[in-house]
Amino acid sequence: MKRVWGYIATASLFFVLIWGWTLQVDSSLNYPEFISGGALFFVILVLCMFNVRKRLPFLPLWPAHKWFLLHSVSGFLALFLFWLHADVLWPKGLYVQILAVLFYGTTLSGVLGLIMEKIYPNLLTRVGLECIYERIPRDLADIRNKAENLVLECTEKTGSDTLAQHYFETLGWFFQRPRFIINNIFGGQNAQTWVMQQCSVLERFLNEAERDYLDQICVLAETKRKIDFHYSLQTMLKKWLLVHVPLAAAVMAMVIWHIIVIQVFFI
Amino acid sequence: MTITTQSRPQRWDQPFGSEMTDADVERLLGVPEIQAIEADKFPSRISLEGILRNDARIMKYKAGDIVIREGDYGNSAFLVLNGSLRVVLAPGLPGEMLGRRKIQKKNIWQALKQLWTQKTSPEFRDIQRYDHKSGLRESAVPGSSHVFLQDVPAVLDSNKTAVLEGGALFGELAALGRTPRTSTIFAETDSELLEIRWQGLRELRKYDQGWRRLIDQRYRQNALKAHLGATSIFSHLDGDDLQEVADNTLFETYGTFDWHLSYKKLQGQDRIEGVKDEPEIFQQGAYPDGVLMVRAGFARVSVERGNGRQTITYLGAGEFYGADEIYRSWKGELDVGLKVTISALGYVEVLRVPSKTIEKHLFAYWESERQGGTRVGEMKSEKRSGRIHDFFDQTLAEGALQEWAVQERFVNGTQAMLINLDKCVRCDDCVRACASTHDGNPRFVRHGKTFQNWMVANACMHCADPVCMIGCPTGAIHRSLSGGMVIINDDTCIGCETCANSCPYSNIRMVSINDENGQHILDPQNHKPIVKATKCDLCADQITGPACAFACPHEALKRVDFRDVTWTGEGVGGQ
Ligand code: HEM
Ligand code: SF4
Ligand code: SF4
Repeated sequence: MKRVWGYIATASLFFVLIWGWTLQVDSSLNYPEFISGGALFFVILVLCMFNVRKRLPFLPLWPAHKWFLLHSVSGFLALFLFWLHADVLWPKGLYVQILAVLFYGTTLSGVLGLIMEKIYPNLLTRVGLECIYERIPRDLADIRNKAENLVLECTEKTGSDTLAQHYFETLGWFFQRPRFIINNIFGGQNAQTWVMQQCSVLERFLNEAERDYLDQICVLAETKRKIDFHYSLQTMLKKWLLVHVPLAAAVMAMVIWHIIVIQVFFI
Repeated sequence: MTITTQSRPQRWDQPFGSEMTDADVERLLGVPEIQAIEADKFPSRISLEGILRNDARIMKYKAGDIVIREGDYGNSAFLVLNGSLRVVLAPGLPGEMLGRRKIQKKNIWQALKQLWTQKTSPEFRDIQRYDHKSGLRESAVPGSSHVFLQDVPAVLDSNKTAVLEGGALFGELAALGRTPRTSTIFAETDSELLEIRWQGLRELRKYDQGWRRLIDQRYRQNALKAHLGATSIFSHLDGDDLQEVADNTLFETYGTFDWHLSYKKLQGQDRIEGVKDEPEIFQQGAYPDGVLMVRAGFARVSVERGNGRQTITYLGAGEFYGADEIYRSWKGELDVGLKVTISALGYVEVLRVPSKTIEKHLFAYWESERQGGTRVGEMKSEKRSGRIHDFFDQTLAEGALQEWAVQERFVNGTQAMLINLDKCVRCDDCVRACASTHDGNPRFVRHGKTFQNWMVANACMHCADPVCMIGCPTGAIHRSLSGGMVIINDDTCIGCETCANSCPYSNIRMVSINDENGQHILDPQNHKPIVKATKCDLCADQITGPACAFACPHEALKRVDFRDVTWTGEGVGGQ
């Protein structure tokens, strides 16, 4: 997170320079909006170029991590310039209000995304297991099958259905699909507590042989919990861009139209 | 009645050549070089006849066929039975003639063109390309496909060559020492050769005086002197002095040449050999009888700690140990024992330069240097010894990562893909960048073994000891002379899977190739899809260098040489 403050500080520095420039222009009775607007447009252009750069990995256009740095600093700079350019937090006029919503939406999603990118990787590493996102559904299905087979086997071998009943009442719900997603996203521990509780609550009702099966199921549940955690966080890491990028595209389109209109108005 | 059985070598369950008949063996026993072998010196378990039957095969080459290529890693030697061959002397043949891939960096325009020339279906190949360029003579018999030279007279005209005829033995040094072949040899006329795999060759050297003398003498003459002259401790010597060192140097191999195969098997069962199972080369506490130099492969350096042994580092080709101890006892210190144990990691070829020789040719030189003002205490010439001593003080926690890298044999990697999981946002930009620079299909999997926050992803590491290259019948997989990366020539790859089965890290993938419509291209003979071996080529022809590292927005992915990596609490430095 220290880095994020670094991006903000760098953006502020550039902002102060541009702001000083507009003040100077202002005092010489020109239109300072042209300076702030021009700078804002340029910065938005740079922001959107990130996407173009990602599509051209084979061109020697600076390594991607430099673009990332540029994008993060420019993102904050764009926000400051937007305030300078509009002069208020919430501008007047329907068109620019729509533009403002989209812009704030892009920036907010960007900032949230950035924060996730700085916090989540370490949380994922701490789980102590790595999974390929696309394979998660298959991994979960495998685990579920194993768990269900154990339950069946337990009933067959021990002749008691205590474990099976508990499985179908509660544990089965957990094994069905990713659970505790929201809680995971906020870094919560609910899943862990739940798994532990469900495993321990049953123990005193089982005999030695059944307990063996329960232990194996609990190990599976623990693995499943970890995969769920990966699923939740990796989904967020992937899906936030589906908000950020379309909003960014809309901003770009509206900005261009805004500029055309201003040009026509002034000529 | 009791039947006594004696176990024959396990490898004989899979003979080198499946076609060897009784008549063939009979005939071979009549070849002068084999007749001269004293067959009764061989244990009955490993009879000479058994070796010929199981560790050798008769190979036929047509005029123009290349038998071995400069730079190849081979695991066999050849004895000429009949015909005439040519050795191409320096400077050697150009890469393309040997079936190598031509590497040319794209210019900006060619790089950009990939944007629209890239086919939508992955693994598209223009098969016309295979027809004329490659000079490939395919054969259904495993190991019998050859790359041939299209214009032998022109090659003879423009290159200096030497003739090899019946009775000549070649390729034995590379086969025993696991070093690259030093020259190219091709058949000038149709020829017949006896190919002997390394295990058989090792037995021949072990049990037959004549073959041992021949092999050792050639080794001292051809390889050893040049090798010693190139090392930092003997670079001050030349002529007779160097020859004397070479004559006194002992060479030994430890471990199994095919370590990668057993490693792969044990890996599946999660039972990789630990330090306890490795053959010891130097034992901690023992008095050193010479300086140990690693010529090929890797050796583990460990110290006793509690109930076990802690790996503190490893030695790779060109590195050595022991001079410090010998120097100190030479200077009169008493009881200078070795501080570490050195054991073979997989397969290692070592040279042992006896103390007497070291004293005469190295310490005397150091002393004269000292008198000339250089500080000997620095031991500047012992490249890694200094480093080994640095490692003594590390805590178990600090050394754990290095120990892991040694245990998993990642130290073999010169360009391993190391991902810092604390930075990686799992965006797969690296994977996409790789796909868009490689026929629409990524050449690695962003998954692999992890230790703490480090992952070594499944991408070719361009190993120092590239075992994948052993046994490629066409030399399609080779080490590029410029840059040292291991690459595959798609044109000459026949899809035999030898390399993919050999890579201990499973970093080679066999893919079916497709036509423009995304349909598999079929082999006209058996109507099965044609497969090719693919792996990371380090973006040899891209201007950006490895696209994966270039595309990572978070600087989480790096290509590292494990030799240069220094592990610290926060990160990996020293690249
Ligand atoms: C403070 C403001 C912003 C922040 C912190 C921010 C942050 C980010 C981040 C972290 C990424 C993903 C990079 C990656 O992981 O590879 C990204 C991608 C992107 N952002 Fe922003 N952004 C901001 C504002 C904007 C704005 C205002 C625009 C355009 C108007 C924009 C356009 C884009 C585009 C086009 C991408 C590329 C997405 C892709 O193809 O992967 N961003 N942004
Ligand atoms: S293919 Fe495997 S053995 Fe060969 S260089 Fe790459 S990682 Fe090493
Ligand atoms: S590009 Fe970098 S951050 Fe993204 S998945 Fe690859 S290594 Fe991780």
